[in-house]
Amino acid sequence: MGVLAMFDNVIEGIFSAAFLFAILRVTTPILLPSLGALISEKAGVLNIGLEGMMLSSAFTGVVVSAYAQDWFGPETGVTVGPWLGLLLGVCVSLLLSFVLALFHLDLNGDLFLSGIALNIFGSSATVAIMFELTGDRGNTSTLASLQMPFVRLPEFISQIPIIGPGFYEVFDNQSVMTWLAFIGVFVVSFFLYRMPIGMHLRAVGENPEAAASVGINVKRIRYMALLISGFFAGLGGIHMGMGYLQLFQRDMTNGRGFIALVTPSLGGGTPAGTMVASLVFGFFDALGIRIGSLEIPSQLPQSIPYFATVLALVIYALQRRISQRVTEMRTASGAAFDAAFWSSIQRVSILHMLLMMIAVIGVVTGVSMLSAPNGFGGAETAVPIGLLIGVASIALFVAGLPFVRDIFSIQRHWQASALVTVLSLGIYLTLLLALFFEPPLALALGLALSAVVWLMIGGRVLMRGH
Amino acid sequence: MTVKSKQAPAEPGQGLTFLRKHLLLIIGAAAGIIATFFITNTMFDGSFEKMTGTPTWQNILLVNLLVGTCILLFVVELKRQAIRVLLTVIVALLLGFLVTFIFNLDSADRFGSGEFRVQVVSEAEPSENGEVDLEYNKRRGGHFNKPNVVAPVSEIAWTFAGAEGDVVSLLAYAKNRRSEVDVLVELRDASGATLASATSATQLQVDETFDDLVSVRDAVIADYSLPAAGVYTLYARPEDIETSTVLSEALSQSQLAFEALLLGPIERVNRWGVWIQDAITLILLGMSFAIVFRAQQFSLGAEGQLYFGALVSGIIALNFSNVPGILLIPFIILASATAGFVYGLIPGALKAYLNANELVSTLMLNVIATRFFEMVLNFQLKPADAGYVASEKFGPNAILPVIVENTQVTIAVFVLAVVVVISWLLIRRTPLGYEIRIIGSNLRFADYGGVNSKRTIMLVMAIGGIVAGLAGMHLANGIHRQLILNISFALAFEGVVVALLARLNVLVVPFTGLLYAYLRAGAQFMERDANVSFEVVRMIQAIIILLITAEALVSFFQARQKRADIDESGHSLDSLEDDDV
Repeated sequence: MGVLAMFDNVIEGIFSAAFLFAILRVTTPILLPSLGALISEKAGVLNIGLEGMMLSSAFTGVVVSAYAQDWFGPETGVTVGPWLGLLLGVCVSLLLSFVLALFHLDLNGDLFLSGIALNIFGSSATVAIMFELTGDRGNTSTLASLQMPFVRLPEFISQIPIIGPGFYEVFDNQSVMTWLAFIGVFVVSFFLYRMPIGMHLRAVGENPEAAASVGINVKRIRYMALLISGFFAGLGGIHMGMGYLQLFQRDMTNGRGFIALVTPSLGGGTPAGTMVASLVFGFFDALGIRIGSLEIPSQLPQSIPYFATVLALVIYALQRRISQRVTEMRTASGAAFDAAFWSSIQRVSILHMLLMMIAVIGVVTGVSMLSAPNGFGGAETAVPIGLLIGVASIALFVAGLPFVRDIFSIQRHWQASALVTVLSLGIYLTLLLALFFEPPLALALGLALSAVVWLMIGGRVLMRGH
Repeated sequence: MTVKSKQAPAEPGQGLTFLRKHLLLIIGAAAGIIATFFITNTMFDGSFEKMTGTPTWQNILLVNLLVGTCILLFVVELKRQAIRVLLTVIVALLLGFLVTFIFNLDSADRFGSGEFRVQVVSEAEPSENGEVDLEYNKRRGGHFNKPNVVAPVSEIAWTFAGAEGDVVSLLAYAKNRRSEVDVLVELRDASGATLASATSATQLQVDETFDDLVSVRDAVIADYSLPAAGVYTLYARPEDIETSTVLSEALSQSQLAFEALLLGPIERVNRWGVWIQDAITLILLGMSFAIVFRAQQFSLGAEGQLYFGALVSGIIALNFSNVPGILLIPFIILASATAGFVYGLIPGALKAYLNANELVSTLMLNVIATRFFEMVLNFQLKPADAGYVASEKFGPNAILPVIVENTQVTIAVFVLAVVVVISWLLIRRTPLGYEIRIIGSNLRFADYGGVNSKRTIMLVMAIGGIVAGLAGMHLANGIHRQLILNISFALAFEGVVVALLARLNVLVVPFTGLLYAYLRAGAQFMERDANVSFEVVRMIQAIIILLITAEALVSFFQARQKRADIDESGHSLDSLEDDDV
């Protein structure tokens, strides 16, 4: 029962305004470099060096804002300092991305390795200079560095009925960098899809030869893309050092520059999708912070987004293969092709994959509970529950496997597919509903709901098809 | 050990090639022998008795011979490319020296700031005057110009009263030996005119005349006889630092730092041990990357595989500590290799059968492995009363046997030698190795040629995992002898450098690993001896990667080459591989 109470506690925390506030805050340093990664990826020059650029900019920002108070006097320094830090930090980040572009585009260096070199450089140069300036190699707590201003919302918003108070609590007093990040999504969107140069950029990424043949200067576009990605990485770094904390810690980006490389592909290569993917990472980050105070090892929720990314890669690949298969069939069978039938089969197969993804996370949870039972309230409770979760998840995973490997088996054994889908989705929904209702009622509701979902997604067509 | 077999396939009939190979062999052997001799000589200060007096000196000699062998292999394998690698390292070191120099530009500041005191020494009777600050033979001051205070006092004027003919000596000196401030002192009369001044003291004054003086940087106006009775002023401040002093100080400090960097690791046996043990880890990681990159797979999974290898070998070491070592150690080695294999198989299978980007998946799997390691360590292996997150120390049976006393140089040296030979055989002498090389040079061609590229890609990543798992075992059971957080210490990326410097040649990786570990070990001693941050060496590392990867750099400086039309967007390591497939 202790585990259920814990679960309850977590869910309650998740639905609070403070938690949403935290999500936005921790999403910012993922979203900003993700936008940079998106643009560089669209131009076909994925910027691996984001991490190093973020670190350099964070460090520059912190140091400049601290020294600005000496340069301009304490009064002007406090207002000017953060913005000067932002400016110079972004400049340093731009400089590094220029070096990357120079080495890759002009000196034929390998993009991947040059990026890694910049990461090492960013990580080491910041620590070396910090050691010179402060004599400390851990953080800059001895420097009186400043913070980016916070945006206060007008008071009347909280007076709006129903949504007002919650909205106010979530969005009021967020750092200006958070606002910049989410505004950046629209700007990037506009840039990529509404401006000629954005079109050129995408053309270069998709087919450089074709782009060059219509007179686009490929190299210049790629320079620009790398510089823009450096710009966003710089902003992300500024948020790390001056957005919430007021200091620089060695390697404080802690892999965010690498997460940012993944979010665009996870988000389907669109700015909005990238934002959603970043929010997913932010959600789990915030969850990890929150769970830290509970009796669950924070490492487990923290590693879930990484699992999700690997699984998303797998699903993406499988999905592409299935679409190819369906397209082939379409060309082969011509007018006799039943488009509605096959697209519902595709949808059902995606549902299978998503359910298997949850099953994998279940397996991971089970394995974690078995390998570190002391972290989950001792061996007596953790081992049986872990075994149960693990075995059930493996069973559900194995049950779904044939339908993901071969979509024709969905067609052939649609009853079995339906059973597996409804059962596994039902179990997950039941777990969630058990928080609000009695277990038997939750089970009934869960199964009913999942049956409805299956019908809506394509079950109707499948049943009619036979 | 692998030297002879390397030389076997010399093509007969091509006299010139034959001669050149021999020439290379001679150059390589000479370089190897010189290096072996130099290292051993420096370690024991050139004294044969000191060497034979050291316990297990035979093993030290053996390891040094292996180091020499690595140099031989480097020369023989890379041929002319070896010069480029060496040049790159030298250029990067020079740039590193420049950085160190810039960081050390403030080292002359210690002459301009620091606590100092003043004193008027005289044997005459003190004059009675209540309005002056100084009496004869009383020390004053101590907080002048102290760094890190809010308002440092950079100059000071004290007054004292004296009678006509009083013989006085005016002293301004550093408060203690830690303060290296370089002061000057002046004697002024009541109108403010300077009567005498001094900027230094003689060695004799420091040693004998005045007890309080610390060094010749202190200032003394000796035996001045006051012209008239009245109030005088003692004025003292740190001397202005000249630019030449600033530069020469920075230079000598940087030289000191680089001496520690370049010679530190072979000064003493225990320092040498730090170098060798670090090199073993780096070489294993470099091998892992070299094998995987050879097949054009950009897998960065070595870090995660290392963590898994370390975790598995650590758990075995903790649970089976009463099994005799002769059984336990091989078991641990096998288990860690298996762990690495399995964890390498995952991204391999994802890449081979689902075409999932290996760079992304391995980066994600690295984080997952690290978190999992942390979780198990934190909640399961950590003793309840431990102050920090670490497992218990391993029992003596589970620790790799040490072959050089007072160091952590273990039988991992031999494990490593075996790994190098096997990897070489695998890449150069087996069908699988052939497939790996074919896939690396042209995947499509490999597919047409009937290579089962999926299986090979999966296997090559898993094989890389084996070596990385062994690296984890070496860290856990050889060096730390317990499981700790951050056991890899971000070594994985350094393995990338090692593999690249070796141009993905598994026979050259041992040399580049040794070279790189040497720099890392040197950096530790540089930080300890010369107060220059360890990170300077990582900056040097970044510069090395940039220079090595920029293929066009050479021609860029030679002439303005024709602009490349459209460069390939994909990653290309082709140019980094040696051509003899």
